[in-house]
Amino acid sequence: MGYVNGNDALAKDLTQEVFVKVWENLASFREEASIATWIYRITVNTCLLQLRKKKYLRGNEIFEKLTETPEESNPSKENQLKKMYQCINKLPKNSRGVILLELEGLPQKEIAEIMGLSHEAVRVRIHRIKNSLTQCVKNDSI
Amino acid sequence: MTAFEDLKSQWENQAKSEIPKDGAKQILKKITSVRKKQVITNIVLTATGLVLVAFFFYVSAYKFQTVMIGLFLMIGALVLRIGLEFSSIRTLKNLNVSTSAEKFKKQMIRYYMKRKKVHFVLTPIIILVYCIGFLMLLPAFKESLSSGFYNYVVVSSMVLLIVLSIFIAREVWKELAILKELKD
Repeated sequence: MGYVNGNDALAKDLTQEVFVKVWENLASFREEASIATWIYRITVNTCLLQLRKKKYLRGNEIFEKLTETPEESNPSKENQLKKMYQCINKLPKNSRGVILLELEGLPQKEIAEIMGLSHEAVRVRIHRIKNSLTQCVKNDSI
Repeated sequence: MTAFEDLKSQWENQAKSEIPKDGAKQILKKITSVRKKQVITNIVLTATGLVLVAFFFYVSAYKFQTVMIGLFLMIGALVLRIGLEFSSIRTLKNLNVSTSAEKFKKQMIRYYMKRKKVHFVLTPIIILVYCIGFLMLLPAFKESLSSGFYNYVVVSSMVLLIVLSIFIAREVWKELAILKELKD
């Protein structure tokens, strides 16, 4: 969801794409990593590949669409979530992957394995992204 | 709770998408349709090649050297261009998608750097060769076609060249933008 700025339909498309790739690459799975890590890797990389497709609208267009929808239960929380999607979308592609995995609640060691970075590098990067993301949601600047 | 933890809890509490009940079926359908598309593409390309060869013999192009060279250059340029696109698509499909994200990003950057070379070196050469081939055919067209139809061929080919150039330029611009984004 984070990669497509909260667009549910596009997220479903991407999920399908990921499972097609999992199916196609199943023979190359060599149990060097857990199956979950392996699927996460395919997911992050498939999202990166989507840069090619035009249908993945620009952040602003989606943001405009999101703000058009009526807000129900808790407007400020809803707004913050929308802003969060927008802020995540402003991050560089790999930082986006890192923070989305962190938000998914994955341990940093596993994130490091998925991203191909050292544990220390991931720790530092997460710390930095957390700060800029929080600041962005508060002040609308990254 | 820190500000980020607060954001994280909001993230976790957002409405989850429903998991489709027939998800596996949908995916299998998609895999089958991808394979079908590949077969159709191969059939269309082979048929195009055969039609071109048949046309070559139908107009007895081999009897006229200039016409033969002209046609050869045009068809050769087209075939080369299609071949390049296919090899690119194959390279992209063969990228190791299960590797780490950093390695994958490097693979993608390498791929787009290669594409950049294709766009700035090979594509202009191919277009030039195609145009030379077409210019070589013009005298034969002038001889065998009515002046109205000849003018139509000349004008429409120019329009086609402009439209094609705009299309290629847009694609190149798009790929360069992706490369820039990957390198950021």
